[in-house]
Amino acid sequence: MKKRLDMHKIAKALGAERRGKVISTGGYFGAMQVLADAEARFRVPAGGGRPTDPAWTERRLVPLAPRTLKKLEEISAKVREHGMNVEPMQLAALLIEKTTEQLSEDQAEDLVRPRRRASR
Amino acid sequence: MAKTRARKPRRVLSGGRKRVLVVLFVPSVQRDGATPVDQSRWVDSSLEMFGRVFGGATAYPKAKGIWRDDEQDGALVKDEPVVVHCYTTPRDIQDDRNLAELGSFCKRMGREAQQGEVGLVIGDEYFAIRDFGEE
Repeated sequence: MKKRLDMHKIAKALGAERRGKVISTGGYFGAMQVLADAEARFRVPAGGGRPTDPAWTERRLVPLAPRTLKKLEEISAKVREHGMNVEPMQLAALLIEKTTEQLSEDQAEDLVRPRRRASR
Repeated sequence: MAKTRARKPRRVLSGGRKRVLVVLFVPSVQRDGATPVDQSRWVDSSLEMFGRVFGGATAYPKAKGIWRDDEQDGALVKDEPVVVHCYTTPRDIQDDRNLAELGSFCKRMGREAQQGEVGLVIGDEYFAIRDFGEE
């Protein structure tokens, strides 16, 4: 699993204050971060075709709500404005990987821990 | 039958993937909002620094910006910053020497261009540098 950046170390070394996260899935910086990810990963396959991440060897069907697909289309359109041709479902794959990598063990445990139900 | 081996994806460049975006805002005016700074000099210097330390950067055309100076009763400082983008690797952005160079540049720009704050976005976080004391 990829390690997260040590933001505390970065802030200390720069003599900077951490002012909080920028939204990583929407807006200008979200689109630019996706662009950085896509540019770093995507390669044109040897046999030609759309650039993709060579490590994506598995294929699954992912159910989506229409509003989620719409949002993916909007963000990928923003990324395309910056010259990187990324498709909505390629963007979905990038975001799934990013979130999975950033999820700590504790957070993952919270997701699967049975929730207490209010009982009277 | 000939044996086939699963091909591993080839690394095009060494040193890992440049998946971290660093964004620096180069101001056009001093903290007073009126005195112009030598923006093109700072843009050129920042590109040289990013090129030397991280391998490259891109400066975009002027944008429109605003900053609230809380130490001056919330005065709004309007400027036209140039946004500089640099893609780098997690290893390079966490390297002590690289961070020292980046920090030193931001402090020098803050000090000499009379800024209240120098803003940097690294990955998914915003960093504010406000103490420009000599290192």
